[in-house]
Amino acid sequence: MIIIDYKDRRPIYEQIAERFQELILKGVLEPDTQLPSVRSLAMDLSINPNTIQKAYTELERQGFIYSVQGKGSFIAPNDRLLQDKKDEILKVVQKLAKEAKEIGITKDQFIHKVNLSFEEERSDD
Amino acid sequence: MIEAVNISKHFDHIKAVDQVSVSIKEGNVFGLVGTNGAGKSTFIRMLCGVLKPDEGNIRIDGMEVFENIDAKELFFYISDDQYFFSNATPKDLKNYYKVVYKNFDSERFDTLMKQFDLDQKRKINTFSKGMKKQLSVICGISANTKYIFCDETFDGLDPVMRQAVKSIFAKEMDERNMTAIIASHNLRELEDICDHVGLLHKGGILLSKDLYDMKLSIHKVQCVFKEDIEVRQIFEGLDVLKIDRRGSLYTITARGTAEEITSRIEAAEPVFSEVLPLTLEEIFISETEVVGYDIKKLIL
Repeated sequence: MIIIDYKDRRPIYEQIAERFQELILKGVLEPDTQLPSVRSLAMDLSINPNTIQKAYTELERQGFIYSVQGKGSFIAPNDRLLQDKKDEILKVVQKLAKEAKEIGITKDQFIHKVNLSFEEERSDD
Repeated sequence: MIEAVNISKHFDHIKAVDQVSVSIKEGNVFGLVGTNGAGKSTFIRMLCGVLKPDEGNIRIDGMEVFENIDAKELFFYISDDQYFFSNATPKDLKNYYKVVYKNFDSERFDTLMKQFDLDQKRKINTFSKGMKKQLSVICGISANTKYIFCDETFDGLDPVMRQAVKSIFAKEMDERNMTAIIASHNLRELEDICDHVGLLHKGGILLSKDLYDMKLSIHKVQCVFKEDIEVRQIFEGLDVLKIDRRGSLYTITARGTAEEITSRIEAAEPVFSEVLPLTLEEIFISETEVVGYDIKKLIL
């Protein structure tokens, strides 16, 4: 479920937190499912349990998960976070469109590409 | 908690360790890295009470270590060059450690020996180097001590065994808050398991920091500027370790957070820029370079 990219220069806890965010936002991990325990994940990945704990603390701070005393960590309901992520992506698209315009890509070309990607996604389903 | 305050050690006129102070928190993994001959092994041997420091003192949980059995019961030391009794088998070793360590877990020892596929009745001197290291790790884990000191222990193990040992360490840390001190040259690996890293050079400690603080406090920037620009000016006030220029491409290593550095770069309106955190290996190289341990001197 969690893969660490050793060529990635970012700290490992950031990678782990980001991977969980992705899984949560994509809906792979549904609200109220339990996350693997710190120990089992640390043993799976052969890394320091303190690192996993740090990733979980970060996720909890951002509101992706909640912890229950003595039971472990669980996925939090995430409508708001999903909305945030959508906003973020739309902002990137806006920025890209602006850059595209500056460099001389026409509106039709841009929209054509966007359409293509959306249709590609659909045929995957 | 292990605390070393201003310890020094001389061998005749050679200064092996010079005024080193560190404190190691419980439940952490402390990575000890350093250039060859920096004094890593000497430092660990002083922590264990094998050597007596010439100056300063070392306390483990508040107790002096040297010739103090109560303090020595708290840790297990896996030495770089291991010594086993002649003609001994792992079984003899188990019986020996059972006497020394009160909490020695014989069952754990037996299961681990089986898992690692080592024969308890074979003579240790017929074991390969890697197998001897495995045996020491098994003894160390089974001894159930609060602290474990590993002097280049991982370096002799194959990749599969290293993963296995790291997983076992993770479990012990989470289960009983074990604390480990690991001296190694394999920086890539220390990055996975350490909380805190101490960097030694020529007997002195160059830096001792939380791994994440360290990674976030030094960055490498690659950038191209529109016109000739005084690069030093952009970074005024920041600690720049190195500036390297190839054509119009600058590679700059500087201390500071990613935000700090990015804002400086952005202000100069570069054509292209990229801010990257350093790997532990790069941190090691740039920090030792600053004090004159330069790879170029070695190869040119």
